[in-house]
This record gives sequence, structure tokens and C-alpha cells, in this order.
Amino acid sequence: MQMDLNFIAFVVMGLAATILSGVMITRRWPVSAAMVLIAVMTLLAGMFGLLEAHFAAAAQIIVYAGAIMVVFVFVMMLLNLPPEELRYGGVTWGEMVLISLGVLVAIVLGTQVGQGLLTQGLESMGYAPGQTPAHAKSLYFAADENVKNVAATMFVDYLWAFELVSFLILAAVIGSIVIAKKRSAENANAA
Amino acid sequence: MLTLPEIGLYFSFLLFLVGLAGVMFRKNILFMMVSVEILLNAANLAFVSASKITGTIDGQVVMFFVMAVAACEAAVGLALIIALYRTKASIEADDLKALRG
Repeated sequence: MQMDLNFIAFVVMGLAATILSGVMITRRWPVSAAMVLIAVMTLLAGMFGLLEAHFAAAAQIIVYAGAIMVVFVFVMMLLNLPPEELRYGGVTWGEMVLISLGVLVAIVLGTQVGQGLLTQGLESMGYAPGQTPAHAKSLYFAADENVKNVAATMFVDYLWAFELVSFLILAAVIGSIVIAKKRSAENANAA
Repeated sequence: MLTLPEIGLYFSFLLFLVGLAGVMFRKNILFMMVSVEILLNAANLAFVSASKITGTIDGQVVMFFVMAVAACEAAVGLALIIALYRTKASIEADDLKALRG
């Protein structure tokens, strides 16, 4: 019964997230799209929680629904676009045809090729579907110590990647300031 | 009967499709960037599901890195949008055909 409830909740959240992202990309106003995207992020956080990735769920809400979306909404407000700038007229018929073709191809690929590839890839790594593999690092996967396990992996096996990502963030911060800052008077006169 | 993480992989597939449609069909650069966020989230869901399927934690660590890269991408991309709006007074991709600054 517990498993079934998890299952139903997972499927409902996944469907809601997919439908809401479809709603999001057809909004006319950027701010309402951002609000719908926050709902999508929160639903995804719930899915991560059901997959027992508790740290991922918390980080999803704090970093995505909190920080990144605030930056998005901030820029939308800063631009203060006039309504005539938003020339979106909804989904056209050509787009509808293209989208349904794409969904068809995607379903065929996903059910025929994707499942086979997944099983094959897992088997080649020694995993059997639906069971925890024998050589999985049991140290790294105790369900009630998710944060500890993520930290242990991140700061031991992935230390280099972690440090490189911190440099990437530094570069992004400097780069975004340089790109977005107002041009000085002499530059404006020269241009 | 599919297990939870396998369904998660299918949902990540669907989310990726929706995000891809957003990047391809919207002409507004703000919407293209928001759709890129959906693409990254679909990848995150796939990573977490794979981490659950294989019983290892590496997928969740990589998902955290993806999140950091997404933050960088949002910062730089939005700075570019501000700079573009300042020079062209428009954020429609069609108005930026020249790409000569």
C-alpha cells in the first residue's frame, strides 16, 4: 500500500510537471511563465524526494525555485517590457503538426530503442533491472543518510570537479557583470 | 510493472521534449532561456533516476553540478539579454538577425 501511494504520487507529479511545462512555453507574459516554472521545479523536487534523493530535493527548491527563478523574475522586472514587445500569438497549426510528429517519433524511439538500450547498458555494467546490484557501494546508499553520502562522494571522488565548478561560477559572475554593465560615456560617444 | 526510477526516466524524456519544443518554437529570448532550464531539469531527473536504478550516489552528485552550471548559464544569459535589450530595444530573436552588435 505504501509503495502504491508512492507510485501514484510519482506518476501524478510527473504528469503535472510535464503538462505545466507545456503550459509554460505557451504563455505570453514572461512573469506568468516564471511562476508556472516554479511550480514545475517544486513538483520535480517532490519526485526527487520519492526517489530517495533528499539532498537533491532540497537543493532543487532552494537553488532552482529560490535563487535561479529570483534572478529570472528580477531580469523580467528590470527589462519592464512594453506589451507590444511580446508578439506571441499562440501555437500555430504548423507547429502543432511538427509537435505531434515529434511526439510520435519520440514515443516509438523511447519504447522500442530506449528500453532496449537501458536494459543493455545496465546489464553491461552488471546491473539487473529492479534490484540493487551486488557491487553497488552500500556505504554510499543508506536511505536515511542521503546528505552524508552525497557529501562523501562529492568531496572524495568528485573533488576536482567541485573545485572546477567553483571557478566556473566565479567566471560567470565576473562575465555577467562585464556584459551587463552600462557602457561608459566615451564608449557611447565612440559608438 | 515499471519501477519508480524507470518511470522517472520516461518523464525526463517527456520534459526534455517539451523544453526542446520551447527552445525551437518561441522567438522570445527570455522564453528560450526558461525552456533551457526545463531541459536541464529533465537531465537532472534522468540523473537522479539512474542513480536510484544503479544503487549508487554518483548521479545525485552530477545533478548538483548540473545545477551549478545552470546557475552560471542563467547569470550569463540574462546579462546578455540585458545588454541586447539595451542595444536593440528588443528581445525577439527575429530582430537580432544581423548579429553584428
